[in-house]
Order: sequence, then C-alpha cells, then structure tokens
Amino acid sequence: MGSRALLLLTPAFRSDRVLLSHFTKCGFHQTFRQKEKMVRLGAREFSVHSSLERPNVARLAETARISLTPQEAEEFAPKIQKVVDWFGQLQDVDLQSIEPAIRPDTEAGSFREDSPETFDNREAIIAAIPSYEEPYIKVPKVLNKD
Amino acid sequence: MGLPGALPVLNSKVIKCAVMLGLALNCKLSLSSKFDRKQYFYPDLPKGYQISQFDIPIATNGFIDVDLPLEFGGGHRRFGITRVHMEEDAGKLLHTGSGSYSQVDLNRAGVPLLEIVSEPDMRTGIEAAEYAAELQRVVRYLGVSNGNMQEGSLRCDVNVSIRPIGQLEFGTKVEIKNLNSFSAMSRAIDFEIARQAELYNQGQADEIVQETRLWEEGAQKTVTMRKKEGLADYRYFPEPDLPEVVLTEEYVNGIRDSLPELPEMKRRRYEEMGLTMQDVLFLANDVNVAEFFDATIAKVPDIKLAANWIMGDIAAYMKNEKLSINEIKLSPQELSELIASIKSGTISGKIGKEILLELMEKGGTVKGLIEEKDLVQIVDPVEIEKIIDKVIANNPKQLEQYRGGKTKLQGFFAGQVMKESKGKANPGLVNKILIEKLNAKS
Repeated sequence: MGSRALLLLTPAFRSDRVLLSHFTKCGFHQTFRQKEKMVRLGAREFSVHSSLERPNVARLAETARISLTPQEAEEFAPKIQKVVDWFGQLQDVDLQSIEPAIRPDTEAGSFREDSPETFDNREAIIAAIPSYEEPYIKVPKVLNKD
Repeated sequence: MGLPGALPVLNSKVIKCAVMLGLALNCKLSLSSKFDRKQYFYPDLPKGYQISQFDIPIATNGFIDVDLPLEFGGGHRRFGITRVHMEEDAGKLLHTGSGSYSQVDLNRAGVPLLEIVSEPDMRTGIEAAEYAAELQRVVRYLGVSNGNMQEGSLRCDVNVSIRPIGQLEFGTKVEIKNLNSFSAMSRAIDFEIARQAELYNQGQADEIVQETRLWEEGAQKTVTMRKKEGLADYRYFPEPDLPEVVLTEEYVNGIRDSLPELPEMKRRRYEEMGLTMQDVLFLANDVNVAEFFDATIAKVPDIKLAANWIMGDIAAYMKNEKLSINEIKLSPQELSELIASIKSGTISGKIGKEILLELMEKGGTVKGLIEEKDLVQIVDPVEIEKIIDKVIANNPKQLEQYRGGKTKLQGFFAGQVMKESKGKANPGLVNKILIEKLNAKS
C-alpha cells in the first residue's frame, strides 16, 4: 500500500480534525523518530496550537488498533503535538484568494479498461495466507464492526 | 487483498455508469470529485480502509418518479435522491455457525460499486419497496447492473424512524440489515414502524435507540444486532492513490444523448397511447418486454391486440417454460404478422392462438405455417354452406331435437362444422348460415 502522510489544513476539508499519518504498528516508532530529529534540527519551538486540536492519543491508538499503555500515551502526546505544530506552520499561509483544491496534486489519472485480467501467480498469493481453508481465508470470528 | 505495494487503479467504466445513473436519477453531477479512505477494521476489508467518496460524491440532489402497484392503490410518487457515489466492495464474510472462526472470500473485494442514498421521503413499506424496484428497473434499463438481489448485484439497507404527527424533527433512526427481497424490505419496514409506535404508545420512546437491527425472515421481526455508540469515526481523508475524477461537459452530454428511454418515460408514453395502467405497468416493467412490444406495434399499430397477446398467452408461456422474452423463438415481426393475419381474416383467432404456441416453441414464420398446415380461414359462404348441409344431413336426430325446441343444440352443430372444416371455417359466418338453415324448414 503506497500510504503517504497527509495533513489537510485547507478550508475545503470538512472535518476540523487534524489527521495524522496512517502509522502502522511497525512503522510507528521509526517514522516518529525521524520527525523528532527534523524538529530538533530546526531548533525552534512551534507554538501554533491555535486552531489545531490537541491529539487524543488514547483515542487515536484505539481507533488505529495500536495498544499503548497509559504511560506510553502520556509520553507520546507532547511529541505528537510537536509534529502537529511543525505542520501547523502551514496555517500562516494566506489562502484568502486561493480556490480550494479538492485534493493534493493535479496529475491527471490513469484508468483501466473494464476487462478482467488473470493474475499468473495465484499460488504465491495463497501460500502467503496464514490460515487457509480452501477456498476460504480463515479469520477469527468477529461479529461487530466496531 | 491489501498486499504491500499493490495500488488501486480506477476502472473507467464505473465513471461512465455513475454518470449514466446520476443523469437517469436527475442528479446534479460534480464535474470534479474525489475518492476518500473510509477507515475501519473488519476481516472482509483487507486494507483496513474502504475507498469511497465522502464529501464530494459524483452525483447529488436528484429524484426518481415511481408508480405504486395497483394492488396497493396505485398512484404516483416522487422520491428524492440525496447522492450517488462510487466505492469499492469489501470481501464476503461467512460465519460457520458454530466454531470459533469465520471464513473470508476476497473475490469481490475491490470491485467498484455505486451507492445510492435516498432522501427520507417514503412513508410506508410499499413505497420503499417500489422505490427499490424502480431503481432495479432503471439500472437494468441502463445496462449498469442486472440488479439481482439474490446474486448480491443489488443490496439494500433501510433506516426507519417515526415521529408524532406535527413534529418537524425526525425521530431516532434505526438501521435494518439482512433484507433479501423487496417484499422482505416492505414487511421489515412495516414491522419496525409498528414496533417503534408501540414503544411510543407505552411511553417508552426513549427505548428507541440508534442501532442496527437484523430482519429475521423466519420470525418476521427485527432483532437487535449491535447498538451504535455514537457515530463511527471513519477518519476520512482523500485517497492519495487515485486521481481526481474530472468530467467534461462533452463527456456528460455524450452520455446524456445516448441514454435509453427510461421506465418513467415509457410509462408516460404508453399511458398516452391509451393503454390501461395495468398494461402500462406490465409492459414497462422489463425493458426487453417493452422493446418487444414497441417492435411489434411498429409494424402493425394495433396496440391493444399486441398488449393482450404479450400479457396473456406469451407471458403465460414464458412463465411455464421459465424463459425470458428474448429466449422464446417468436420474434416481434412474426407477432405483428400474426396480428395482421387475424385482422385481415386470413386466419381465425382460434387458429392464431394455435400457431402462436408453435411459433414460440419452434420459431418459423406465420406465412410459412399457414401454408404448411393449410390454415387459411374459410370465408366463402358457399363453402361453409356445403359443410353445414353435410353436418345437418349426418345428424338427423339432433336436427329433430333442435326443431322440437332444444335450440341449445346450435352449439353442437357449430362444433361439428368446425370439426369437419378442421377449425378453418369462420365462426361468425358459420353461426349466421347455421341459424338460417336450422330454422329454415320449420
């Protein structure tokens, strides 16, 4: 998955909640450490808390299904706040006369025809499935979508 | 499957289908729209997010016109369409009943879907069911989907709330899932309305909570599935891996110009032709039947006869043999030929019915069959007289009984004449001449 970090501060975006990048459990610590370095190199404190909500780390961890102890959540909160503030510099940009874009980058897209293509290496896909009961993938029983 | 490194690519056909459907539902199209990630965790969602359209869907603010079935009182209704958007399907999750695990089939994951959301304009189960049936008709007419609920090509969830008469604010809404047919939808809605009304009457309106209930077909009731604790937080953000969807005026106009005549337009046109509402609803229901009808009357404009044949004998045959109108061997051209032959008197109506069956089963042409089986109607009075004379001569006993007062025996004689002429004698002429002859010598 080509997941990229996106912080949207444009008026067009409906939610006033700032979205942090889609951290995966393994990438979390690594990505976070890199950002911390960048903030220190700049040797500035960014106090642009203004319109950006304080991250509720416990809730973020819950919705992202990352288990954090209350202590870890407390530790990370100010560090995450710093990252948010660093991005918060963008709020200083004057957007008065700018038309809101509905999404970043203006590259025209590529499309595919509506015709099926067979993938050659199904065996490799199936071999990578942790628990396979032909022809289904076995998963733990989950009833609620919450 | 959420494989690392795999990226989504937009299928150009879903855009076309979305525009067709948006136009057919009288929506405003967003010439610029985007995709968003709807994030949640569930075993049938391998990426952990569903690509959908959140705040800028491709079509909004439309409406659909519906004719309620006659058996429920008929009438026109117009229901608002809030939006139509594109999204991807998740996999299919199967619960094995007992057991500590479930099974996932990912074959349909990633397949594009169109989601249609209606305004809360329906007031009864029937209205909602007819709304859904009309959507099914529209998508079939457009060729956007086969709309089969049994196959999962059309899936419906409903939200039901009630409020005291006079109150402007809507009541708490309850979602109902697991509806497998339009009639189940109708019954589930009526049940839920009654359930909520009962709670109000008992002073327990606060027991109506925002939740998802399942319709149990066996027990014919809704049951709690899970209670929603506030709204789900899907943390939407724009999908970075898919481009903006840009529609040009040309593209949209091109599609608009190529839209087929939609069910509502067909119904109005058939009504204007003079067909009864019952005929109209039947003929416009299936786009193939409507095309067959249109093709038939193009050649021979006897609308009533064409409608009767299609709704009567042909529909009955299709039902018995479980065939669609495109699968029977009869062509609209031959049906119009049949109608013309009966109208011109070449063959009798009764013979026409017989030929029809053979045409549906084996095909062939009307002209061919008439010749092959020597079915041309006998309309020459001299010919008919000869046959009648023969029949009367062969049945002296019945003749006496008739002359003695048993006038009902005319039917017997007529039957004998038809038998003798192998069904070809024109019934009207037969009866006319028969009466003359039978009454003559008295």
